[in-house]
Amino acid sequence: MPDSASPLLKVALVEDDIAFQNSFAAAVRNSTDMQLIGMAHNVAQARRMLAGDPLDVLVVDLGLPDGSGIDVIRAAHASWPDCGIMVSTTFADEKHVIASIEAGAAGYLLKDSSAEKIADEIRALHAGGSPISPRIARQILLRFRPVEQAPQVPTAAALATATPIASPLSPREREALELITKGFSYDEIAELMLVSRNTVMTFVRRIYQKLEVTSKAEAIFEARNHGIL
Amino acid sequence: MVFSRSLRTFLVYAGLATLILAALYLGSRPQGIHLTRAQLLVQYTQGYPPPSRTADWRALPGRWQDIALPHAPRPHMLPGAGDAGLLPTQTTWYHFTIDPAQAAPSGAYLYIPRWKTDGELAIYVDGRLFYQTHANLQWNGSNRPLWIPLEEAAESTPPRDLLIRIRHVRGIGGALSTLWIGDYRQLAAAYYTRAFFQAELPYISSAMFLATGVFAFLVWLRSRRETLYLLYALMTVATFLRVMHAYMGADRLPVSDAWFGWITVNSVGWTILIAHLFLTALHHHHARWLTAVIAVMCLGFGGITLPLFEGTADATIVSPLMYITMVSVGTFTFIVHIVWSRRAGTMEGIGLAICGLLSFILGGRDMLLQNNIIDIESLFVSFYAQIALIIAFCQIMLSRYIRAMHAVAESNLVLASRLAEREAELNASHQKLREIERREVLFQERQRLMQDMHDGLGSSLVSTLRMVEHGHIDETDIAQLLKGCIDDLKLTIDSMEPVETDLLLLLGTLRFRLQPRLEATGIRLRWDVRDVPPLPWLDQRHSLHVLRILQEAFTNVIKHAGANEIVVTTGVRDGQVCVGIEDNGRGFDATMAAQGRGLGNQARRAEVIGGRVEFESTPRGTRFTLLLPIEGARTQPA
Repeated sequence: MPDSASPLLKVALVEDDIAFQNSFAAAVRNSTDMQLIGMAHNVAQARRMLAGDPLDVLVVDLGLPDGSGIDVIRAAHASWPDCGIMVSTTFADEKHVIASIEAGAAGYLLKDSSAEKIADEIRALHAGGSPISPRIARQILLRFRPVEQAPQVPTAAALATATPIASPLSPREREALELITKGFSYDEIAELMLVSRNTVMTFVRRIYQKLEVTSKAEAIFEARNHGIL
Repeated sequence: MVFSRSLRTFLVYAGLATLILAALYLGSRPQGIHLTRAQLLVQYTQGYPPPSRTADWRALPGRWQDIALPHAPRPHMLPGAGDAGLLPTQTTWYHFTIDPAQAAPSGAYLYIPRWKTDGELAIYVDGRLFYQTHANLQWNGSNRPLWIPLEEAAESTPPRDLLIRIRHVRGIGGALSTLWIGDYRQLAAAYYTRAFFQAELPYISSAMFLATGVFAFLVWLRSRRETLYLLYALMTVATFLRVMHAYMGADRLPVSDAWFGWITVNSVGWTILIAHLFLTALHHHHARWLTAVIAVMCLGFGGITLPLFEGTADATIVSPLMYITMVSVGTFTFIVHIVWSRRAGTMEGIGLAICGLLSFILGGRDMLLQNNIIDIESLFVSFYAQIALIIAFCQIMLSRYIRAMHAVAESNLVLASRLAEREAELNASHQKLREIERREVLFQERQRLMQDMHDGLGSSLVSTLRMVEHGHIDETDIAQLLKGCIDDLKLTIDSMEPVETDLLLLLGTLRFRLQPRLEATGIRLRWDVRDVPPLPWLDQRHSLHVLRILQEAFTNVIKHAGANEIVVTTGVRDGQVCVGIEDNGRGFDATMAAQGRGLGNQARRAEVIGGRVEFESTPRGTRFTLLLPIEGARTQPA
């Protein structure tokens, strides 16, 4: 879809680590199809940036000096609904990534990625693809576990998360996630499921959106519960 | 304080009862014609011939004498001797002439508060037999006042002439109270009140106590050790039998006079025996001699008067003697029981013994009444003492019962608190155990990470540092080494999250981490894994070993094999799960390489988790296999 005549991707970074700022800036600079519009060092600067015109891709670090990147992601998702948001992370550990996705992120960027890899990830995200690791897939499967497969003795927490969600995953999405947990790549999954790579990427993006929506619903559900209590 | 309060309560209730009784007494005073004088004629007879249908008082042989009512000649203790085996009896006639000035109203009743006879009492009105009782000879309901409706026919005229015929053993019994004639309004209250207090109240209360006795008996059946319940039940039975002669006998009895007398008279002795045993159980002063005395008395009287054999004494006839004996023994028994109860400090015992004593003192008084010594129009009162006695029994049983229930409730409480204590102890020890377990887990985790840092990241960083220091290394190599370190670190972090027995998830994680490096080196990866059974032993510690073993295998291929394709397979072989990593590189001498540190590490780690590694190298490539047990026999927690 994007041809040589298409406008440049407008990219911004929220990050307090100078080294990553530099390598990120270099990676964007070296790509002809994107342009670094903004760079925020903390939550306050990020909020000022969000008051401006929407961008295409925003990369956010979680550990900011004056607050959590999660809040930036949530604010960005609200202000710029069409902007692709990525969380930048060293380990892509599921706890941080899933929290970011629940706040509205569509993917993550490994900080030790090469310059080309960084540019590729930005492009892929903008094109509608989302990266996912086997562990994150596993975590989402557990989260959306159908009620009948719930453990024999459901804990209060398990009930709270399981009850409001009647497994919103479609069987195809579930199948894709299961293959991801077994280590298969997007291409291999596309082959196994007899669909295109793009479709698999759409599955993942949609699953991320469901995760965000259900987390919002859960928040409301819980707030109401607490209100009643 | 408490005493004065309970005393006040008692006084209030006693006062209230007195008031009610006084009101009853005053409200039930009889009115109407009161016949207090009569003419008397006594005839000596033999046996009990029936009365004639008509009787003209003037025609009766003998001399009439004027007497005042109530008429109650003093009896002898024993009947006089009869002629030719027939019982010497006497017929007593009472004649009344009713003053025409105070004629009976229409619908009048004849009310006789008390009468004593053997067999029937016959009443002639104006010379004709008008009323006749049908009863046993001796037990004939004389404790029931008579309430006889007079004739109320069209031609009826008020009676002018009353003749009453009673018969009894010569010298014993026979008496008549004053008579009343009046309509319902004038006499009913008097009659019903007397009937109630004389016959019905004893009947109702003894029947009620018998019911509680049944309850006590059932309690005893369930816990045989509680003999008090049995004694109480027996007491209610004996009392019921005793009280029978207060109300029985208005009609013929189903048993003979002899048996009825035997039962009702002997039952006094039985109540003494039972009360004695009961009181002994209360104060635990065992006086076997007294038990023996009472038992001998009961058995002796019972045997002598048993109507089964010819020649035994009739209990009714000898009752005055029996009563004197029994009242003496009973009075003595209760007096000593009062003493013993006081010594044992049991108020219940004292109360019971006092009630018993009272019943015998009143019994003595009733004996006087029975023998026409005191006014025969008064009531037999020992029944009420017997009621009080039973209430005292009831009170004791009730308090025992309630105490037992409280004891049960208390023991339940104690049990509950003990249970709670045990539970708390258990919780505490459980908490302690969990704390120990947690520390153990933390310790193991720290050990694991330290070992891992030492073997992997630490040594890699140190060797990189050495190389940089000695200067024989270029930037690309440094970057390569540092990337390796970061990969190490990522795998360490991955191993902190549980994989829950899922080997493929572990392999997927490894691939996810190694993919960028493989891509950078241009080696193609074929992911040819198949589902394998879950490995229950695969915890964090073990999964890090698996990751390190396979990471080493990948690193060896990338560094040394010069391959351009790696195939990863999984499967089950000989009851073991196997992970295969196969390259198309140049191969190596497996025997030589096995001495190298990397391969040795793999074998060591595999051994720790109960598996092993295999190499198969040819010039066309190398196949590395990690074999893992499905059931980690060694590592399975108990």
